Amino acid sequence: MTAYIVRRLWQMVPTMAGVILMVFILFNWVGGDPAYILAGKMSNAAQIANIRHQLGIDQPYYVQLWIFLKQIVTFDFGASWSTGESVAHILETRIGPSLMVMLPMTILETLIAIALALGVAFVRGSLTDRAVMVACTVGMSISILVYMIVFQYWFAFKWGWFPVQGWGDSFGENLFRYAPLPILIGLAVSVAPTLRLFRSFVLDEVGQDYVRTARAKGVSERRLVWVHVLRNAAIPIITYVMSNLPGLLIGVFLLENFFSVPGIGREVIQAVDRSDFPVVKAVTVYVAAATMIFNLLTDLLYQAVDPRVQLK
Amino acid sequence: MRNLLPVLLRCVLLLSLGPLALTAQADPKVLRVLFEAPDSGFDGALNVNWYSAKVTEMIFERLLTYDYMARPAKLVPGTAEAMPEVSDGGKVYVFHVRKGIYFTPDPAFKGKRRELTAADYIYSFERILDPQNHSPLINFLAGKIVGLDAQAAQAQKSGHFDYDAPVAGLKALDRYTLRIELTAPDYNFPYVMAMPSGMGAVAREAIEAYPRQTNMHPVGTGPYMLAQYVPSSRIMLAKNPDFRSLTWDFAAGDGPNDAQVVKDMQGKRLPQIDRIEISIVQEEQSRWLAFADKQMDMDFLPQLAAPKVMEGDHLKPEYAGEGIRLDRAVDPGITYTFFNMTDPVVGGYGKDKIALRRAIAMSYDIKQEIALIRNGQAVPAQMAIPPGVAGYDPQYRSSIPYDPDLANRLLDYFGYKRGADGWRTMPDGKPLVISIAREPAAIYTEMAELWQRGLDKIGIHAEFPVSNFQDHQEAALGCKLMMWNSAWNADYPDGENFLQQLYGPNARQGNMACYQSPAFDALYKQAMALPPGPERYALYAKMNRQMEADTVWLVETVRVRNWVTQPWVLGFKKHPILNAEWLYMDVKMRDVKTRDVAAH
Repeated sequence: MTAYIVRRLWQMVPTMAGVILMVFILFNWVGGDPAYILAGKMSNAAQIANIRHQLGIDQPYYVQLWIFLKQIVTFDFGASWSTGESVAHILETRIGPSLMVMLPMTILETLIAIALALGVAFVRGSLTDRAVMVACTVGMSISILVYMIVFQYWFAFKWGWFPVQGWGDSFGENLFRYAPLPILIGLAVSVAPTLRLFRSFVLDEVGQDYVRTARAKGVSERRLVWVHVLRNAAIPIITYVMSNLPGLLIGVFLLENFFSVPGIGREVIQAVDRSDFPVVKAVTVYVAAATMIFNLLTDLLYQAVDPRVQLK
Repeated sequence: MRNLLPVLLRCVLLLSLGPLALTAQADPKVLRVLFEAPDSGFDGALNVNWYSAKVTEMIFERLLTYDYMARPAKLVPGTAEAMPEVSDGGKVYVFHVRKGIYFTPDPAFKGKRRELTAADYIYSFERILDPQNHSPLINFLAGKIVGLDAQAAQAQKSGHFDYDAPVAGLKALDRYTLRIELTAPDYNFPYVMAMPSGMGAVAREAIEAYPRQTNMHPVGTGPYMLAQYVPSSRIMLAKNPDFRSLTWDFAAGDGPNDAQVVKDMQGKRLPQIDRIEISIVQEEQSRWLAFADKQMDMDFLPQLAAPKVMEGDHLKPEYAGEGIRLDRAVDPGITYTFFNMTDPVVGGYGKDKIALRRAIAMSYDIKQEIALIRNGQAVPAQMAIPPGVAGYDPQYRSSIPYDPDLANRLLDYFGYKRGADGWRTMPDGKPLVISIAREPAAIYTEMAELWQRGLDKIGIHAEFPVSNFQDHQEAALGCKLMMWNSAWNADYPDGENFLQQLYGPNARQGNMACYQSPAFDALYKQAMALPPGPERYALYAKMNRQMEADTVWLVETVRVRNWVTQPWVLGFKKHPILNAEWLYMDVKMRDVKTRDVAAH
């Protein structure tokens, strides 16, 4: 097991190198020159050159790339070019609000989708199954923008169930007052496709010989569902959930923007708009690292869930 | 169900907040406002972000400021005791800083009260020229003050600005007297000293105490100080308890709400508002609903909301009936599209090229832009100087009308013939394709479609390359962009601030059309040698005509902002140059029982 983990960690090095190179090339190719934003309304070539010098983007590319590598190794990405705020502080303060929306959303989405998928898969073809599938199709056909506009107008503004927008100072206030509406909208958008996917995972198992054998042996339906089928359907479900987890670190830009949640998604979009490379670099590298780590954890979980899986 | 859910949520909230939630918002007067985009921090010398400037204007004080009520905008002393003494034909300015103005307490002052002095302004102006700060305000001081550029050049070489070295043009004659000597007479220099962003005084100790973090630690002498800052989310300003005595004493102008403003505010000690809570809310629906839900006290109407809320120039009765007030203010700025005068297709000063530019300009329907794209919240611009700015002539009418028929005849006359495919060619038979740069935002897509419709009518094939602002700016400053829609808002209320973008020596900086006209430049120099007044403004009109004759810009619109305030907000009148009016306002106490309303 240890050898496997060490080998996988080593394999991350070339992957990360590829990510670093791609981010660096993309930013320098299409990222726009931040000097023209920082220079203000009136600027000339000398001022632009001075700003580029101060930011270090007049250095040869290999020097800039070397600095980038040093920043990754030291975990010090410096300060935002547009605000001067340290990148570490940006990550530290913006990931929390994103997680407060995304984490409950992911947990609820997974639980609801699993429960419904198991429920409808065993009554496949029934009116209930078809009604749920139609509802899923309708739900998936509606844009998140429509959900946001309609839910905010009716649930928040008209009926006063939630605040229209905002973010407070305390954990409780944010979780129970400001986060519920964005979470609700997130669920309205995400449960339908997840449910359809999980249903197909369960259906794949329901038709297996071991299910027929278990039924023939007189195993109760409840035990069949929760012990036999769910355990075997767990591997693709785990794969799906784990592959979505790195997304928690970049938040949901649209929801954060609409409901004024000071999360990392909003920050990243602003950084891209302002060509704020230090922030873009840090977020990209951390998300890439998180993706690789979650992939490794997924593989480890496979073995925990299914002893037949051998990690080599 | 309708009533149950909020009650349940409130119970949970109260439990989570504990005693804090039960505390009634008692005495402090709070003004809750919105920013539609994030700030960039609060070191005025380092950025020109409009939202940052609103905050820095409250924290840092300039020598001069503006009369809150006077229109057109009028300069008045700020921290200076009086308007400057001007001598040597407008080359030397002497300011006397008021005694007894103190910086807000900060650990950088080691427990001592720190008084504002003339030396603080010298340091503040020098910071703008310090290459390490790459200040976007550099053009307002560069080349203007004797000795300052040499100091900056030295700093560029050595990598260190020597703030202790004397600068001939910046002298503190005594603790409170500042003498500024310019390299040439500049009658607009007092306006520069009053610029809301960046010209306020900082204390050297406070800047040096927070190296590279000055954006997060603003320390000034203004009426407010930064109490809480959650970047990209929330800013809270608290009243400076040490602020000097200042009384609201302005005369009403001819604005529709002026009498009420004076009645509400006259004689009050400033500032009246204890706390200003700023939320950054970027989506238009969220902003409007937050205001309509009374979570916010003031905002300007998003353009999308204007038709729903207004009838013509007035609020709909249901909103007016609630006591909401409207302050409709014309922006001191213009939108325009420039032609690159060095471009091989549309550039040049020959009659055929002028005819081509004029025909293109005459194909664009500005009234449609205002009606369809701006929801009626703009007026056609007639000249390069907007209303409210010195040099604007309300009688002036642009000589470039919307007239596709005339444009077609003009193109026919100058030999831009239509080919078999319906598109025109250059007089020498080469293809005629113009390129109008645009950014990805929806409004630019709509404008491109409007341009396309107009150009189709005159048979000119157009492309609309999309890129980000930075790339367009880089190309424009290199005189490589054929056409681009741009906007300019007044830094100070004099027409020169707009016309300098057409001055030949400013090509490859502000003059993005790369326009070089000896006639225009001569008029510009003549105007700059004159003090403000009718003679100078007559030259501004001539410069406009010269620009039109060469068809360098198509001036398009002057935007209108509809500011709305809740019934309990007093004293608001949008100022054309000041970024924020909070110092001069007040709020009546509201019946606020919990944090529901005050929270963001």
